[in-house]
Amino acid sequence: MLTLTNPAGLWALLGIPAVLAIHFLQRQAVIIPVSTLFLLEKTQRESASGRRLDRLMNSVPLWMQLLGVLLLTWLLAEPRYQKARSTQRVAIVLDSSASMAVIKDKLKEKLVASLPDLQGHATALELTVLESTPGRPKLYAGDNPEELAKALDAWQPRAGLTDPSQALRLARSLVAREGIIVYATDTPIEAPPFDARILSLGEPIDNVGFTGVSIGEKEGAKVFQALVRNYSGHSTSRTWQVELPDGTKTEPRTIDLGPNAMVTLQAAFPEKAERLKLLLSPDKFTLDDVLPMVVPQPKKLALFAATGGAYEQLTKKLLRSLDATEAVNDTASSDLTILSYDPLDPVLPAGHAIVFVKDETKGGAYLKGGIVAEKHPLIDALNWQSLLVRETIQLQRRESDTVLLWQDKRVLIFLRETPATAEAPASRQLCFNFDLRLSNASTLPAFIVILHRFAEELRDAKMAPMSELLESGQPITLAAKTGADAPELTVQTLGLDGKVVKTDTLPAAARARLDAPLEAGFLKVRQGETELLTASVHFADTREADFSACKPENTLDQGSAAAVERHTEEDHWWRAWFLLLLAALLVSWHFTREREAAKKRAAEPHPA
Amino acid sequence: MTAEELIRCHARALAAAGRLRLPLRSRVWKGQAGEFQGAGVGSSLDFQDHRTYVPGDDPRHINWQAYARTGQYTMKLYREEVRPVVDVVLDASESMFFDPQKAARVAELFCFAVEASRRSGANTSVFLVRGDAVRPLAPESISLHRWLDEARAMKAADPALPPDLSRIPFHGNAIRVLVSDLLFPGDPEHAVRMMAARQGSPIFLVPFLQSEATPDWTGNYEFIDAERKSRHQHRIEPSVLKRYKESYTNHFTMWKTACRRHQCRMARVACEPDLQTALFAEALPSGALETAN
Repeated sequence: MLTLTNPAGLWALLGIPAVLAIHFLQRQAVIIPVSTLFLLEKTQRESASGRRLDRLMNSVPLWMQLLGVLLLTWLLAEPRYQKARSTQRVAIVLDSSASMAVIKDKLKEKLVASLPDLQGHATALELTVLESTPGRPKLYAGDNPEELAKALDAWQPRAGLTDPSQALRLARSLVAREGIIVYATDTPIEAPPFDARILSLGEPIDNVGFTGVSIGEKEGAKVFQALVRNYSGHSTSRTWQVELPDGTKTEPRTIDLGPNAMVTLQAAFPEKAERLKLLLSPDKFTLDDVLPMVVPQPKKLALFAATGGAYEQLTKKLLRSLDATEAVNDTASSDLTILSYDPLDPVLPAGHAIVFVKDETKGGAYLKGGIVAEKHPLIDALNWQSLLVRETIQLQRRESDTVLLWQDKRVLIFLRETPATAEAPASRQLCFNFDLRLSNASTLPAFIVILHRFAEELRDAKMAPMSELLESGQPITLAAKTGADAPELTVQTLGLDGKVVKTDTLPAAARARLDAPLEAGFLKVRQGETELLTASVHFADTREADFSACKPENTLDQGSAAAVERHTEEDHWWRAWFLLLLAALLVSWHFTREREAAKKRAAEPHPA
Repeated sequence: MTAEELIRCHARALAAAGRLRLPLRSRVWKGQAGEFQGAGVGSSLDFQDHRTYVPGDDPRHINWQAYARTGQYTMKLYREEVRPVVDVVLDASESMFFDPQKAARVAELFCFAVEASRRSGANTSVFLVRGDAVRPLAPESISLHRWLDEARAMKAADPALPPDLSRIPFHGNAIRVLVSDLLFPGDPEHAVRMMAARQGSPIFLVPFLQSEATPDWTGNYEFIDAERKSRHQHRIEPSVLKRYKESYTNHFTMWKTACRRHQCRMARVACEPDLQTALFAEALPSGALETAN
């Protein structure tokens, strides 16, 4: 196949009409009176006016000049011939962000249509399609446009904003230095790395959608508050309605939203409804036009205060500040016990606990020395420097205890973790090795935070049913029963209509980790007969719902000369054509010179 | 042409007429008394025949010596001497004058024909013809050099038409000199027959330019027709030029053939050499002219 490296060289073909025009203009060069016109016309009828083409025949300079123009065009166009075995590798990195859903079909058509251009002058095409989200498998590898189209049809972009650098790096390693990388997105990036080309079909569309939801309690009733945002720069209006699990819908209500405005929709959650959906009148980006929800119900933490009145106030404050807690009256039924350490009864009960020292002497001096925190998730990034502690009696430490906070060489806080035994389950105890009343700890934010962290860790580790409002793709950690007889976890993904779409199983683990589905809907996780999680999943990525930064861009045609040279070979006869061009010009010049001399003779007084 | 140029042309024609003359002696004349032997019986000194006297004869020509011998009146007959008649016709078309060199040669030939005729004592009539327009020329117009103005003032219905010789009142039994380049389309047979009618002896003096006979055209030209002044665009290729030259040669071959058929004399006179050289080169060999002595 012939390829013109420099198609602009074809402009040289304009030289043909130019040469013809010059030769036409030359016909009026000599004007002479003649008395033998009747003889001339009788013998030369074919040269009469009106047959201009005939008059251009048989002129050697004309033919030479036309040949010269053709040769010059050929040389300037730099023709190259396709090599027999050349492969163009192309890696397409698809922006897997959710906003791509709007242009998915258009992108598929554009990519399929662009394949011949991407293949360029190569005889074969090797195509790899990746997603910009790291760690995802290849969407397609091959050379068939139809299969590529099928792969793109099956592709569901649902991720959030993703840095494509890692995927582009992987693509570059796949196609090597000579290959082409195409980053298909809706929000073009400046100076894409790894010499990637940009194909962006995005455009700033007007989008209105749910950005979040919360469910609170007002006057004994559950009330949801859903936030609707207008991402466009001008006013718009939408309708919304509530759909119950049985399919009934409320009357649509209209809301008016100003430019970039946010509106809160508030309504009571029906008492008997397990779940419901908020529907917004659809626009081009439909992912955020539906908001499924359930009433969130966190796992309850049972608290038992065994401080003997010493820490009554603290216990009350803790109960108030922690969500979903309940007070119990015995250690056996509690999830967390607040204990005070009595040196006269140094044996601490088993189970999760927060232990304070109870020192009635009240005579110790303030501790001196630097306060140093160990690296531990419970105490990470907390400031204890303003802590003032008097010397009190100390807890009996074990070697297995993990010290969290030191003052000089004295341990202030440590964590005691007891592994599970046949008789008792594993337990964690957060021990404050000083009398809280003889310090200012209760006024420090760090103290409250560490208590909350400890309590939440215990809540997370508690195996109990809960309900949650999840965002799509949100990671979830569930506490589950472990052991040889522990059944697997069953994960049911439900669609917006409440029907089971997919059922997966997970191996039983103390901390089972899974991700919320990418599609909006509902989720249920069970272990055996035990319900672990009931959740609604909604799309809530406001960055993806905002299309103001989207714009089209296409740099697919920034072809490199190196690719052309790699897949084609030059016309080996170009030197011969160049010499032929010189010869044609010389011959033309020679004959033109003769004609000029004849013209000079004719221009002299030389009538006929 | 200016008056000075006409005078110079006239002078050159007179000089040529001193050395060359029209071929008047090559034929027998009838007509008014003159210097040339007539066909009839006249009063010259040349004895021709005897015959018996009949009443009415001039008694001065009775041969008295024969009467003495025979007793019968016998008349002596002498050859008559007549003035030849010459009609000079000038083709006054534009093609005769569009080029200065050719115009000068036309003027020279025209003056030569008139002066040579007059020198031989012929009864000379001069006509100008241009297409269908014919005009007799007064004898003094030539000596006063007004003939050219009169010729250029003639208007023809179509200047490109061949000269209409049928409108000229030719004298019978006259030498008819036509000064023309003969560059007009049509069958030469008709024109030659007209010139030779009524026992006329046509002589064609044909001026021509080498650039007409052998032009060196090549390339594109815009030709201006000398007669109509119209413009014609042509591209002249070597093949076209070759065909033109062949056509030019054929044209005059047809004229020569027609002249030979009607026993006319035709002399093509080149414009480039001087008049006498040109006349000696072509007109003398062809018999169109003869030397004066």
